[in-house]
Amino acid sequence: MLSGNLAKIAAQRSLRMLALAIACLVVLVPLGYLVLNSVKPQNEMYTIPPIIIPSRITLEHFEAAFNNPRTLRFLINSLTVTGITTAVTVVVSTLAAYGLSRMGLRAGLLSFVVFIFLFIRFYPRITTVIPYFLVMRQLALLDTVWAVIIGHLGITIPFVTWLMLIVFQDLPREVEEAAEVDGANPLQRFGLVALPMAAPGVASAAILTAFLSWNEFLIASSVTKRQAQVLSIAVASFVTDRGVQWGPMAAMAVIMIVPMILFALFVQRYLIRGITLGAVKG
Amino acid sequence: MSTIATLKRRRRLRHDWIWMVAFVLPASLLVVAVQFYPLLFSAYLSTQDWTLTSSQSSEGFVGLDNFAKVLRNDVFQRAVRNSALITGTAVTLEMILGTALAYLAVGSSRTIRAVRTLLILPLVIAPVAAGTLWRMMLNSQMGLTNYLLSFLGIQGPDWLGNADWALVSVIIVDVWMTTPFVLLVVLAGLSSIPDELHESAALDGATRWKSFIYIDVPLMAPLLLLTFLFRMLESLLSLDSIYTLTLGGPGYATFTMTYYIYTLGLRSFNLGMAAAASWLFMSFATLALLVVFWLQRRWQTAQ
Amino acid sequence: MKRTYLFAMLCLLTVMTLISSGIALAQEPKEIVATYMQAGTYDKAAEELVPVFEKETGIKVELIVAPWDVLNQNHITDLTTGTGAYDVMSGEFWIATVFEHMLPLDDYVKRDNYGGDFIERIWSPGPSNFYDGKRIGVPYSADAYGIWYNTEIFEQCQLKAEWETWDDYIAVLDKLQTCLKGKDIAPMVHYFGQIEQPAAIFLGMYDGYMVDKNGNYALDREKAVAALNKMQSLLKYNPEGVLGFDFNAGNAVFLAGKAATMVGWPSFIRANADDPAQSQVVGKWAMAKFPGPGFPMVSAWNLFISKYSKNPDAAWEWIKFYANPENGTKFMLKYGIGSPFKTTYEDPELLKTLAHFLPGQLQNLSRAKSLPWTFAAFEAFFRNEGDFHQGKITAEEMLDRVQTEWNEIKVPEALIQLADAQGLKEK
Repeated sequence: MLSGNLAKIAAQRSLRMLALAIACLVVLVPLGYLVLNSVKPQNEMYTIPPIIIPSRITLEHFEAAFNNPRTLRFLINSLTVTGITTAVTVVVSTLAAYGLSRMGLRAGLLSFVVFIFLFIRFYPRITTVIPYFLVMRQLALLDTVWAVIIGHLGITIPFVTWLMLIVFQDLPREVEEAAEVDGANPLQRFGLVALPMAAPGVASAAILTAFLSWNEFLIASSVTKRQAQVLSIAVASFVTDRGVQWGPMAAMAVIMIVPMILFALFVQRYLIRGITLGAVKG
Repeated sequence: MSTIATLKRRRRLRHDWIWMVAFVLPASLLVVAVQFYPLLFSAYLSTQDWTLTSSQSSEGFVGLDNFAKVLRNDVFQRAVRNSALITGTAVTLEMILGTALAYLAVGSSRTIRAVRTLLILPLVIAPVAAGTLWRMMLNSQMGLTNYLLSFLGIQGPDWLGNADWALVSVIIVDVWMTTPFVLLVVLAGLSSIPDELHESAALDGATRWKSFIYIDVPLMAPLLLLTFLFRMLESLLSLDSIYTLTLGGPGYATFTMTYYIYTLGLRSFNLGMAAAASWLFMSFATLALLVVFWLQRRWQTAQ
Repeated sequence: MKRTYLFAMLCLLTVMTLISSGIALAQEPKEIVATYMQAGTYDKAAEELVPVFEKETGIKVELIVAPWDVLNQNHITDLTTGTGAYDVMSGEFWIATVFEHMLPLDDYVKRDNYGGDFIERIWSPGPSNFYDGKRIGVPYSADAYGIWYNTEIFEQCQLKAEWETWDDYIAVLDKLQTCLKGKDIAPMVHYFGQIEQPAAIFLGMYDGYMVDKNGNYALDREKAVAALNKMQSLLKYNPEGVLGFDFNAGNAVFLAGKAATMVGWPSFIRANADDPAQSQVVGKWAMAKFPGPGFPMVSAWNLFISKYSKNPDAAWEWIKFYANPENGTKFMLKYGIGSPFKTTYEDPELLKTLAHFLPGQLQNLSRAKSLPWTFAAFEAFFRNEGDFHQGKITAEEMLDRVQTEWNEIKVPEALIQLADAQGLKEK
C-alpha cells in the first residue's frame, strides 16, 4: 500500500517534470533556432527541407551588422533612449506617486487619478501617433532621440506612477510620522524614510521601464527618420521587398535580445515583482 | 488635542500640500503634454475630412461622418471580427496554460527555480523580434516547426499561407509571448493563499482538484479576472508581432483592428477616419477598463 | 550583496547613457540626404558610391536606408508637412500622392544632355515619373515581371518555351504536368504567399482599363473576372503550399530544379541562379516572354529631388553619379539590380555570358507598364485577391469588395495622367 502510494507520487513527479520540460523546450527551441540562423551560412539559409544545424558556424551576419556604422548608431540610440527614459521616469514618477499618496486626497479623487493612469496604459497607442508626430514637428524634435524619449515617457510615467502608488500606499506610515514629528520636511521624509523602504519597488519599476522602452516599436518608427532610429526598427527592417533576409535579421535580433535576456536573468527577482505588482495589488 | 496643536498641524499640512503638489507637477505636466494634447487633437481629427496625402490641412468639419464610414466599412467589420477571434482564443489559452504551468512550477528547489527563470524569457523579448522569429519558425517549407513535425510523421500545415492557419499562427505567437505573464501572476496569487487552508482541506480528505476548485479559484477569482482583462486589452493593442509575422495577411485573414487603424493612418494617411476608428476602439477599451477598475475597488473593500 | 550589484549596475547604466547620448547628439550635418530602400541591393550600391562621390565632388552625403513601410511613411510625412529632411528620395508610382512636392528636373536633364542612354520605355512616363507633364523622377533600376524556365526540363519533355498569351502558357503547363507526373517537380512556381505579388500576374492577363472615363479607379468587370479565374487555375500547377511561399521559398524551389517555370521578378533570382553555391540550375535556365494580353508590371525605382531641398544642385549631382550606364551594368552584375540602360543590353561581352537573360529581359522591359494605383488602391486589390485565392470569396465578390474600397479613394492627378499615358484609361 505504502509503496503503491510512493510509486504514484513518483509517477506524478515525473509527469510534472515532463510537462515542465516540454514547456521549457517550447520556450527555448525558437530562441535556439534564432541563434542558429544568425550563424548559418547564406547558402544554407533557404533550403527545402531546411538545414537546421549549419555545416559550419559563420559570423558573417554579425560582421556585416557591425561593419555597418548604422548598427552602432542603432545600438547607441537604443541605449540612450532606454537610459534617459528610465532615469527620468523613475525620478519623476516616484516623486509623483509619493506626492499623490501623501496628499490626503479623497478616495474618489484618487481613484479618478488612478483610472486616468490606467487608461493611458491601455488605450490604443496608435490613436496619438500622428498627432504626436505633428507636435514633434512643431517643436523641431523630429528624428531626435528626444522625440522617442518624450514619447516613451508619456507611456512609462503614468504606468510607473501607478505602480509606485501601490508601493507607497502599502508602506507603514509610523516611521514617516515619527520623522514628521522630528521636524523633517516632506523632501527629507521622502528621501530618507520612504524611498529606502520602497527601494525594491523602485528597482522593479526601473527595470520594467527599461524593457518597455528598449522593445518599443510604434512610436520609435513614427518619429524617427535616420539619426534617431533604434534597434526595434532595425530588426523589422530586414523584411524587405525582396523577401526576409533571415541571416542579417537573426543576427540583429540576437543583438537586440541577448542583452535583455542577460539583464532579465540578473534582475529576475525585481522583474517578477514588477510584473506581478500591478496585477496582484491593483 | 489642544486647538493650538490642531492649528499647527493644519498649517503644516497646507505647507506639506504645496510640497506634494510640487512632487506631482512634473509628471502631470509631461503626461498632459505628451498624452492629453495628442488625444484631444485626435478627437478633433476624428471630426475632420483630412487625408494628409491629398491636402496639407483639413478639408472641413464632417461631424460624425467618419465614424459612420468606419462602422459601415466592410474591412473594419472584418478587422473587429479577427481581433475578437484572435484575442478571445489567445487570452483564454494563456489563462489556462499559465495557470496550469504555475501549479507545476510551484516550489523552491534549484531545478524548479531554474525552470521558472527559463519560462519567463519570452516576456522580455521585443514583440517585433518575436514576430520575425516565428516567421522563420512557421515557414511551411523552410521552417523548423514543420521539419520537426515531419519526424512525428505529421505533415505540418501551411501556417502562414492558409487563411485559417495564419490566424492560428498569430494566436500561437501571442500565447508564446505572454503565457509567462499569467504564470507569474498566478504564482504570486498562489503564494498569498495561506498554506493552512490547503492543509486543513487535505485533512478533510479533499483531493488536489477539489481544493483547487473550492479554495484557490474563489480566492483568486478577482485576480484571474483582472489578469484576463489586462491581457485582453494588451492583446487587442498588439501590432508589432502581426506586423512582422503576417502583415495582416493572407488577404484580410489576420487583419486586426489595430492593423486597420495603422494602415488607415500611417499608410493611407486618412487622418480623419483613422482617428475615428481609434476612438471607437478607445471607447471599448474605456469600458473594459471601467470594469477592471470597478472590480478592483470592490475587491479591495471586500478584503 | 544584491543591493551593491544593483547600485553598480545603475552606475554603469548611467555612465553608458551619458557616453552614448554624447555620441548620439553630436553628429555633424551632411550636405545632402538621400534615401534608399533597405534591400541589400540599391542601398549597398549607394553605400559603395558615397566615399567616391564625396572625394570627387566634395559634397557630403548621408544615406537613409529604411524598409519599405518606414521609408514610405517618412517620405509622405516629410513632404506633406514641408519638412525637407531629405534631398534625394527613392520612390515609385505609389508615392504619386506626393508628386506635387517634387522638383521638376527637365532643366537639369536638358542642361547636362542626360537621359539618352536609357531604354526608351523606361525613360517614358510610367516607368519614369512625371507630374503635370514635367519629369520629376530618374529611374535607377528596371525590372519587369517575367517568366523564366528550366531548359533541361523543357528538353526532357521536348517542349519549347514559346507562348504569346497565358492560354498558350497554360497549354504548355498542361503538357509539363503530364510529362512530370510522378516526379517531384512542379510545372510552375510563383510566390503566391508574398501578399502583394500575385497582382502582377493579374496585370499580365487583364487588358482592360484601370481608371474609368471619370478618372476613378475601376476595372472592366468581364475581363477582370476572366483574368482572376484564369489566375486561380494556375494554382494547381504549383507545388503544395504555394499560397504560403514568400520570395525565398519560391526562389528556393526553382533554384533546386524543382520547378519547370517560374513567374516573378527576374532580378531577384538572376544572380543566385547563376551562382553554383546556391543553385542547381546554373547554365540550365533562360528567360521567356511574359505572356499577354496584359502587360508585364515594371519596377523602376526613381530618384526624386524634394522641392524643399536646400541643395538641389548637389542632389542632382548625386543622381547623375548614381544613375549612369556604367553603374547600371556594374550594379546589375554585382547586386542584381536590373539595369535601366540600353547599353547594358547591347554590351557584346555581356551578351555572351548572359545570353540566357539579357534579350528576354529587354523584350519584357520594352512592353512593361507602371501601375497607376495609389498604395491604398493597390492594398485594397491585393488583400481581397488574397481572400479570393484562399477560396473565401468568388472573383465577382472580390471585385465588388475592391470597388467598394476604391470608391473611397480619390485618384491623384499624377496617376490619372500616368494611366492615360500608358493606355490604361477608359476611352
